[in-house]
Amino acid sequence: MTTERDSIEFDALFVGGGVSSLAGAIRLMQMAKEKAMELEVGIIEKGSEIGSHSIMNPIALQELLPDYDSLNCPIEQTVRGDGFYYLTRKKAWRVPMVPRQMHNQGFLIISLARFARWLGEIAEEMGVNIFPGFSGQEVLYGEDGKTVTGVRTGDNGLDANGKAKSNFEAGIDILAKVTVFGEGARGNLSKSLIEKLGLSSQCLPQVYETGIKEVIQLPEENFFSHNPVNDIHTMGYPLGLNVPGGGFLYQMKDNRIAIGYLTGLCYEDPGIDPYDLFMSFKRHPFIFDIIKGGRVVEQGARTVSSGGHYTIPRLATDGAVLIGAAAGIHNTPALKGIHVGMKSGMLAAEAIAEALEKKDVSGASLERYRRLLDDSWVHPEIYEGRNFAPALAMKGMKKWIHLGAQYLSKGRGIIDPLPLDADYETLRVLNTAPTETTDNMDYDGSLMVDKLTGVYLSKTQHREDQPSHLIIKDPQLCIDTCYPTYGSPCTRFCPAKVYELETDEITGQRQLKLNPSNCLHCKTCDIKDPYQNINWVCPEGSGGPGYTTV
Amino acid sequence: MNVIVLLKQVPDTESIIEIADDGASIKTEDVKWVVNPYDELAVEEALQVVEKNGEGQVTVLSAGIKQAETAIRSALAMGAHEGILIEDERLERADTTATGQVLAAALKKIPHDLIIAGQRAVDGDNYLVPAIVAESLDLPILPVIIKESIADGKITCEQVIQGGTMVVEADLPAVITTQRGLNEPRYASMPKIMKAKKKKIASLSLDEIGITDDSLFSNPKIRVESLQVPQKSRAGIIVEGGTPAEKADNLLRHLREDAQVI
Repeated sequence: MTTERDSIEFDALFVGGGVSSLAGAIRLMQMAKEKAMELEVGIIEKGSEIGSHSIMNPIALQELLPDYDSLNCPIEQTVRGDGFYYLTRKKAWRVPMVPRQMHNQGFLIISLARFARWLGEIAEEMGVNIFPGFSGQEVLYGEDGKTVTGVRTGDNGLDANGKAKSNFEAGIDILAKVTVFGEGARGNLSKSLIEKLGLSSQCLPQVYETGIKEVIQLPEENFFSHNPVNDIHTMGYPLGLNVPGGGFLYQMKDNRIAIGYLTGLCYEDPGIDPYDLFMSFKRHPFIFDIIKGGRVVEQGARTVSSGGHYTIPRLATDGAVLIGAAAGIHNTPALKGIHVGMKSGMLAAEAIAEALEKKDVSGASLERYRRLLDDSWVHPEIYEGRNFAPALAMKGMKKWIHLGAQYLSKGRGIIDPLPLDADYETLRVLNTAPTETTDNMDYDGSLMVDKLTGVYLSKTQHREDQPSHLIIKDPQLCIDTCYPTYGSPCTRFCPAKVYELETDEITGQRQLKLNPSNCLHCKTCDIKDPYQNINWVCPEGSGGPGYTTV
Repeated sequence: MNVIVLLKQVPDTESIIEIADDGASIKTEDVKWVVNPYDELAVEEALQVVEKNGEGQVTVLSAGIKQAETAIRSALAMGAHEGILIEDERLERADTTATGQVLAAALKKIPHDLIIAGQRAVDGDNYLVPAIVAESLDLPILPVIIKESIADGKITCEQVIQGGTMVVEADLPAVITTQRGLNEPRYASMPKIMKAKKKKIASLSLDEIGITDDSLFSNPKIRVESLQVPQKSRAGIIVEGGTPAEKADNLLRHLREDAQVI
């Protein structure tokens, strides 16, 4: 089928409307003003977006918008004090020394959803064209097959079989002199771009953590009302010490808290269910005491790219750059990505402005962005954590020896660089027969909610009658190979019950059933599936979670 | 052919609604606002009428506060030609009578051959405003339609009734209201969104349309006393049984013992 496509042109197009892109677009408009250039800047955003952390080091924001306070920046709280706890099954021990990277006092606690909306308004006032509800379907290349010329948006109005309905609207080609990929962790276009051009051929594989997070409404009188600590991080129970991850709890405005749990996707046990771990974390006596009497008002899930320095791909190529979490720009020891992501967007904008002025948008010209990043405060922060993710992925004493050595040697440690495995390679083969997933947790529907209630509380929606946006390359492999080997881990690692194993009553045949409309766009399946048999593509525009506060 | 669409901005149906402290309104802080879904059908139908007719224009009319402009802009991005907002703070809490009369007052100054409205706004679920507009303008109203055709100054519609449809006809100008199934609203394309952004939305004050009587707002005919959230529906059960007869027996038992309805 050949389809007539409209096209539209921009000087710079940001793919993904998260904070890195928004900061970049704002910086680009500032640069255009300084240089008295007329720039057409666009941002496409497939839906709403979430980040996993809402403690922000304000350094990048101060640089971008020094008068952010008078512009009514939506700040929930300022961190008064940090609490770092080690949890055993029943007890909590306060770790006397908080690692230096995790000192958050004075940092801002923000709702990333609200913060992004606020930045979006500022960007629009400066003349940036923001298009919510448009998903990127494929990267467009020039005749040489390697110069990025823009992005094609997804078709709208296809039915479940991929046939055009009466309101079919073909996607359009958005052409841009420079395309900026800021889709967040494991963005599907960034993934294809990095693969096609081999941008990470010199890198360690990117690794991820899946974060599940809630906003809980607490009674008027609660733990944080009179506590000097309003930022809590935990390690230990329920994940144990071998797999990276842990819990967090922050105070927000109006007696609300943000609570969440991160699970490193390098885990080996195919029986792990990150959602169950989050529930066990909430039930721990120390945590339960803080949240009791509360009610979950919103839930969400997202993966974080946590590999750090050695996993960052080449950031510039002909006609395109990668920024923020899509590029793996993340301070792993500090558990923070927002400020470095924003800064990467801002520095990319500076390089882009100059490249557009010189009329040279080649990779060599845009490479200046990487140099700016390396000369900025981002580099020492990220460089210090360069071996952190591989050490965290280790088990037993080895992990602590490496981490300790790194802590004392500003990140170099014993081996530099330490090797790292991709998350899909780490699962251990089942040594017992696979068991069906059972959900025996006790949910009260208010403070403890099951996965499907969580999906409801994420306000996720997709038009039902559309092609599945989760492509299973070989469905037979799921049943014939994956089920006996790993017991279909997709039915557990997905926090939204998108994957279910069904057994036909009569024939006894097993089959994988998909519920794509539950999808929270966290990308865990695309990352962790041991056979890389699942490909996550963008559903029709505006589908996905509708986070307002998490 | 001048087709007018009456448009209302409502909370997104996926938003989780919380009742404000006064007990009679909702918290709007984190609400996402969208075009009332039935009004999207109205915009689509209006565009089709003009396209079929070969000439004419679609004007979108809304009454509310400044933020309703984004809803009008969505309709412009679908292809509507013009947008008008009757803007006044008092309209945010106006009752159906006031809203209907305000819209009718504006329509007296805007040429119209056909007025299309959603059958109801999904926030208040009143089904009243289009009828009040029709009554105030002394126009016929054909409500809840799933099909229309226009010929010789007449509009013929299929109207949904209990268990079937009824074909009705009226002289133009007339008011019609939409039902699901009427059409599939088109998507706003990016070039159209770009164009819609640059279009000016006309703003009218209540004075300009001749509404000077404040009692419409200060002394409304209907006042919201209180709001309650609907009771949570309970989870369904799947009735087990080896044969259809067994299943029927078990169903009866559930109805008698658990639900206690028979």
